[in-house]
Amino acid sequence: MNALLQVDGLTRRFGGLIAVNNVSFEVATGEIFGLIGPNGAGKTTLFNLITGLTPPGSGHLRYKGADITAAKPHQIAARGIARTFQNIRLFSGLSALDNIRIARHVHTHTGTLAGVLRTPAARREERAVRERALELLRLVHLEQRADEAVGGFSYGDQRRLEIVRALALAPELLLLDEPGAGMNTNEKAALSDFIRHIREQFNLTIVLIEHHVPLVMGLCDRIAVLNFGELIALGSPAQVQNDPAVIEAYLGE
Amino acid sequence: MDSFFNQYGFLIVSMTFSALLALSLYLPLMAGQLSLASPAFYAIGGYIAAVLSTQIFPVESGAPFPLERLLLEMLIAAAVSGVLALLVGLPALRLRGVYLALATIALVEIVRVLSLNLEITGKAIGIFGIPQPFATKLDYLWISGVLLLVSAFFVYRLEHSRMGRAFAALREDELAAGAMGINPTTTKLLAFVLGAMLAGVVGAVSAHFLNTWNARQGTFDASILILAYVIIGGSRTFLGPIIGGLLLTALPEVLRALAGVPGLPPLAVSFLQDGRLIIYGVLIVLSTLFFPQGLITPALLRRWNRKGRA
Repeated sequence: MNALLQVDGLTRRFGGLIAVNNVSFEVATGEIFGLIGPNGAGKTTLFNLITGLTPPGSGHLRYKGADITAAKPHQIAARGIARTFQNIRLFSGLSALDNIRIARHVHTHTGTLAGVLRTPAARREERAVRERALELLRLVHLEQRADEAVGGFSYGDQRRLEIVRALALAPELLLLDEPGAGMNTNEKAALSDFIRHIREQFNLTIVLIEHHVPLVMGLCDRIAVLNFGELIALGSPAQVQNDPAVIEAYLGE
Repeated sequence: MDSFFNQYGFLIVSMTFSALLALSLYLPLMAGQLSLASPAFYAIGGYIAAVLSTQIFPVESGAPFPLERLLLEMLIAAAVSGVLALLVGLPALRLRGVYLALATIALVEIVRVLSLNLEITGKAIGIFGIPQPFATKLDYLWISGVLLLVSAFFVYRLEHSRMGRAFAALREDELAAGAMGINPTTTKLLAFVLGAMLAGVVGAVSAHFLNTWNARQGTFDASILILAYVIIGGSRTFLGPIIGGLLLTALPEVLRALAGVPGLPPLAVSFLQDGRLIIYGVLIVLSTLFFPQGLITPALLRRWNRKGRA
């Protein structure tokens, strides 16, 4: 198996609570990997550990073979891991265009003075960034509203915009934290198609946290189940669905 | 008209200084950092110009101070302020919000106490007889006015460039900005250093303009005043701090002029003359109530833009 991301014995405590306890798994290049579990199981903490927002207590993280355990969030983003947030974290006072342009930061080089003087190289880069951003906005049908502040966008538009903002980083690994939260069944089906579409178009590997069982089962190649910070099952959707430990975690004895 | 400019030359140049200092506070604020350190760098810039022009490059009395030396002093003030800001900013910018504000107030106090006690800054007396490059106060507008135009252009262009957008991302959501690949530490440091350099340059010009420089320049009071320019003018666009600085500096003089209108009852005259600070305070409270985003808001600028295009 060609592992893009290796999670090895990752542990994180918050005071007396062990949010993530000795979790190990590997995510293969090109797969859609689901992360499920009851509320408080440690799924979002695991995302925060992978993206460097929370430093791990112990254990190791390797991305494309390189150790990223101690890397800072911006370094991890620059390496090609992008994410969305459970409680949408767009730059709500800024325009849709600016939200996406900001995510091109690591792929552009215009310095302070060159940007102020608008040197030919700065103009060229600015044009390219604008085109790229508009292209991404077209993907979610928001190109007409490029100059509007995103705080006024509908919930669904904000969710989709946050995904394309992450795509602007040109990641190889995309982490989606409950992308379908608050959506109805039809919207979730459309989201499912959208996620498959962007995986093909951008050659992505995707890890997603999701509660909606049909969406996870239909979309994911493999699923990991967390409960009280521990990994209790890992396998294909069919395997996980019939795992007694998983049934117990969700339904109780 | 001439007599108007000569009478108000001092005021007009002071207005441009205030606008510039407001911009120097606005620069770190663009990246979400509430720094009140501008007066410290302003004071340091002033001492650099005062010491250099009275001790290192003395001119024979009566001759005007050469302009290129003033420009050199401004460059040195910018460089020293920038390096100092780098050293101070690295630890201080680990603090957030009001804690950073407190740390920067401490810096202002340290500079004040040092200048009250050091030989080179003239202790409590300060440095006086700073040579004049110009014949009148109004002529300083050649330096301060140009500096204001250049700084306004710089900040305007910065807001619409890659680094300016990185600043805005940090102001909006530091955590998300980091996850989008922006290095919070170096980006905030850049904003802080730019603000400090501008304040240092303004101090250097101001020292010549005021003729003397002492520990009363660049105090905590100035921190609050500059913050008021930014808050009342509007803290979301480059134009807000400039307008705030210009208007609030002119305000006391406008009130003084109003007091001179003939036929006013004596009580009103004395209120306008002596109650200036009260009026000033009331205006600050009213404008924060009725213009919580300041006088100049991004929405207002967009409306002007649209009208300009139509």
